[in-house]
Amino acid sequence: MTAAPADRDTVGPSVGRRARFEEWAERQASLVFILPATLVILGFSLFPLLVSAYLAVSRFRLGPGGFELSFVGFANFRKLLFGSEQFHFLGRLEALGPLSWAVLIGVAALLGWWLARAYRNPKTGVIGKVGRTITATVALGLTALTLTTTLAGGAFGSLMTTLFYVVVGCTLQFLIGLGLAILCAQPIVGRNVFRILFFIPVMVTPVGIAYAFRMLADMSRGPLAPIWSAFGLGELSWAADPWAARMVVVIGDSWQWVPFIFIVLLAALENQPREQLEAAQLDGASGWQTFRDVSWPAIAPTAATVMLIRIIEAFKIIDLPNVLTNGGPGIATESMTLHSFFAWRTQDLGGSAAVAYMLLFVSVVISVSFFHFVVRRARREHL
Amino acid sequence: MTTIDRRPTPVTSIAHHTMPQPGPIARLFEPRRIGKMSPMTAFVVYGGLLFWTVIVVFPLYWLLVTSVKLPIDVNEGPRYLPFIDFQPSAHAWRYVFIDIGGDTFRPYVNSLIIATVSTVLAMLVGSMAAYALVRIEYRPSLGSIVMFLACLAAAIVAVVAAGVPWWIAAVGLVAVFLLLLRAIGRRFQRRLGNADIQFWIISQRILPPVVVALPIYVMFQNLGLLNTRTAFIITYATINLPIVVWLMHDFFASIPIDLEESAQLDGASRYRIFFDIVLPLAKPGIAATGLLVLVLAWNEYLLALFLSGADVQTMPLLVAAQNATRGPQWWYMSVLIVIMIVPVVTIALFLQRLIARGLLVGSVKG
Amino acid sequence: MRVTLDRLTKRFGTFTALHALSLTIEPGEFLVLLGPSGCGKTTALRMVAGLETVSEGAIQIGERDVTEVLPKYRDIAMVFQSYALYPHKTVAENIGYPLKLRRVPDPDRDQAVRQVAEQVRLDQLLDRYPRQLSGGQRQRVALARAIVRRPTVFLMDEPLSNLDAKLRVHMRAELKHMQHELGITTVYVTHDQVEAMTLAHRVAVLNNGRLQQLGTPREIYGDPANLFVAGFVGSPPMSFVDGALQSGRFVAPGADLAVGGSFDVRDAVLGIRAEDCQVVPRGAGKVRATVYSHELIGDHTLVMCQIGADSDASHTIAVKMDKAFEAEFGAEIDIDMAPAGLFIFDKKDGSRVRLPSA
Repeated sequence: MTAAPADRDTVGPSVGRRARFEEWAERQASLVFILPATLVILGFSLFPLLVSAYLAVSRFRLGPGGFELSFVGFANFRKLLFGSEQFHFLGRLEALGPLSWAVLIGVAALLGWWLARAYRNPKTGVIGKVGRTITATVALGLTALTLTTTLAGGAFGSLMTTLFYVVVGCTLQFLIGLGLAILCAQPIVGRNVFRILFFIPVMVTPVGIAYAFRMLADMSRGPLAPIWSAFGLGELSWAADPWAARMVVVIGDSWQWVPFIFIVLLAALENQPREQLEAAQLDGASGWQTFRDVSWPAIAPTAATVMLIRIIEAFKIIDLPNVLTNGGPGIATESMTLHSFFAWRTQDLGGSAAVAYMLLFVSVVISVSFFHFVVRRARREHL
Repeated sequence: MTTIDRRPTPVTSIAHHTMPQPGPIARLFEPRRIGKMSPMTAFVVYGGLLFWTVIVVFPLYWLLVTSVKLPIDVNEGPRYLPFIDFQPSAHAWRYVFIDIGGDTFRPYVNSLIIATVSTVLAMLVGSMAAYALVRIEYRPSLGSIVMFLACLAAAIVAVVAAGVPWWIAAVGLVAVFLLLLRAIGRRFQRRLGNADIQFWIISQRILPPVVVALPIYVMFQNLGLLNTRTAFIITYATINLPIVVWLMHDFFASIPIDLEESAQLDGASRYRIFFDIVLPLAKPGIAATGLLVLVLAWNEYLLALFLSGADVQTMPLLVAAQNATRGPQWWYMSVLIVIMIVPVVTIALFLQRLIARGLLVGSVKG
Repeated sequence: MRVTLDRLTKRFGTFTALHALSLTIEPGEFLVLLGPSGCGKTTALRMVAGLETVSEGAIQIGERDVTEVLPKYRDIAMVFQSYALYPHKTVAENIGYPLKLRRVPDPDRDQAVRQVAEQVRLDQLLDRYPRQLSGGQRQRVALARAIVRRPTVFLMDEPLSNLDAKLRVHMRAELKHMQHELGITTVYVTHDQVEAMTLAHRVAVLNNGRLQQLGTPREIYGDPANLFVAGFVGSPPMSFVDGALQSGRFVAPGADLAVGGSFDVRDAVLGIRAEDCQVVPRGAGKVRATVYSHELIGDHTLVMCQIGADSDASHTIAVKMDKAFEAEFGAEIDIDMAPAGLFIFDKKDGSRVRLPSA
């Protein structure tokens, strides 16, 4: 002990200088534990977010000896939604045909019915009402956008391209991942070998995957070239076709992310109480019935959560389209992150921040909606 | 106290039901023996697994063989098997390791340092926060948080629009906030709990990195840290922090509190309990989470695009940059990708079971 | 229906969990497989259910060999220790699930579920989920799910072990009654010898994967086949004293009793149940002992007596005395033993040394 005898007499036996420091540190412990994380997030996440908001409503100009920012209100967003960048962000919009109108009205009616039901339900609070209204509005807007850029003969902008990656990619990855997890949960030989093997792609750097798939998708010199030429497609270039190019991006993305879903769902399947499966077996359920009635409800909450994570991450896609196609042909494979990056490279900081904010808005609305209407529900119903 | 119903069981008259025979298709998939798959099921299962094995392995195999091909073997149509279709050559490996050795080596070391240090940092800061959120009760008031955000926004406007030096704004921000807190802090009634803090931290992951990339770029420029490893390390630690908090939270929650309480009675401080008792017990979680974060930092691309300069480049950028003026140099690129993949895959092979368990714990409760 | 196990053997790798178990369970019989954990009783049950493959031997239900038959075609039902209810199905859906899989039309199914639910007194809870039920109620759902299709054989794997003590006694009676009413052949696994004694028509005691004894509860208790059965069955367990059998006398430190017969066994074990002993004043009994502790159980007092305390080989003997019994700790007393209650075992292999009946 470093405590001096004098201290002992006055304050008590164990309260020396060091002891006093220790006591002080102990009292501050609750702060010490949480403060670093809070500061880091404040400084490098929240602060930049606010700065970004400021940039999104400014115009950035390089001037002599530095740069200058001028406040321009929502001009950057106007440009994206209605102005010169509309084709780039929203896509080429065409007038809706009768079929598209029919679909749109149908969707609007469905959303309206859903909203009305929520509004009439006394249990829905103010936040619930506002949230549902936002969800419904965004859903309607995105439906209209989808119709005008597909059925009506328009073309995708970076918003629709990103959504395409998210929706098609995540669906594909979920189906394959779930399928593989089910296969691997059977009484098979070498489960661990498959488990390890299937896990590898998630570790591979996305840039590497992009190059690998560029090689594989090369229709004249890639490994599949003989197959393509057998079908007379040897001279075709997928990189020149918007849909083919997007599909190649989705395939590369799926190759990387199927393992993530696979490994979590497999663990969930293996984690089920064995006695429930055996009870189903004795009750007379076939393999498929056991899955439908016992396993699926058990893993549904995990599946919903893992999909939420995947959706959140999928919105951030950039590496694959940038390296695989450089956003091309034209802007066909440009994701919103890539769009924002390109804008930054051309010194259009305001435009870049505006795209980034639109991405934030869309991904938050969709993620939060998914959380509330899928994940929560899955947990409530299946736990 | 369970109340027991003591009415006697009535006499039963239950009908007997036996299992009907399956239909012809169902019969195909029905096992012939207990604990075995039917031949049809086995065919589907192993067929599916082998098919996906090919899907997984082939791109990796192609990278590997491309790395030992001469340009002519790549450019003149597909050649599949070394020694049979073409003569393998180490020219690309020689080029990458010897001819431009330094240019490969530097980003590789950068990536190694950045990934490991940022991982350690994120793990340390994140684990502490996660542990605190499990064991300590926080009740911050909503009003003070709103107030702080308002001060922050004002400071930003002051710096960006009015040209106030950033450090004056920072000091002013803290001072004004503390003054206001003293003055009106007590009036705020509405308080948040640990779950809110946790949600706030985890929700940072929804933030697309591109939103913060720009200001971070400007910020590091102002701090004079642009084009340094420090910038990378701090940024990567930040973006991975939510994952650490999210996953570690559930690991810590699964540690029985008795141990900690007994240590507390023995006179250990919170710090000692955390480092001596809690962290060792959470080792599987640390391994899983750490590896995940390491891989994410190792492969990160977008922020690297913004943050890197002539001095500090990371491996993903080096690989991406191979799309050079003379067209892609597939053979060099393959070598670089292979040496990028090998270390993470090696670690992953040892830890994959832990990762699955860690992710499961997190995703079920999260 | 009769269930026949013929030299049923289960091996996991090199470990043999069950050694050639042969048993015939008569139609309508309630048979309990009793043994400590790891004795192979659950393995045997799971093999009958078809959840575990058979390494050797055969299983017959009625005249049908079901050794290789899938569980669902065996016409058996099982109640699991954890009840294994489907957590996302209501009570009604849980009970009705076996019927649904047997493609029983909806109205019939509803009626059957309602009827069974009434019998196990769940009729008020049909719309609840398992998580909303108490342990006893869950247990009833599991039971109802098992009886709803009236299987030919019931299998139960420690179904009462997750209930609290009071409820367990109640459910025991209910189970026994229901099995009697339904007349369905039942195989019941437990490690609790009280459950085994109270429920079974016959008990099969297993240890280390081998059948130790098969008999009625009375036989198992009153005429144990070997040291293991004697020690496993009964509460408090039978007390044992190590010693030697010398031409009809059992000799141990502090004890020298005539047990009859004229055997010589060098390493013998004397077994005696608590109710076959009496604490008597020093000099009035056959075995010299001291009082180690005593516990008032309620209707009686259990006195733990130590014999041979001063030598290396000390033993504790439990003696059941009147509830009014009182003694000092360490009091020097004698124990009187009823000759009919004495069992002698060969310590070498645990086998019973049959004494000429006294």
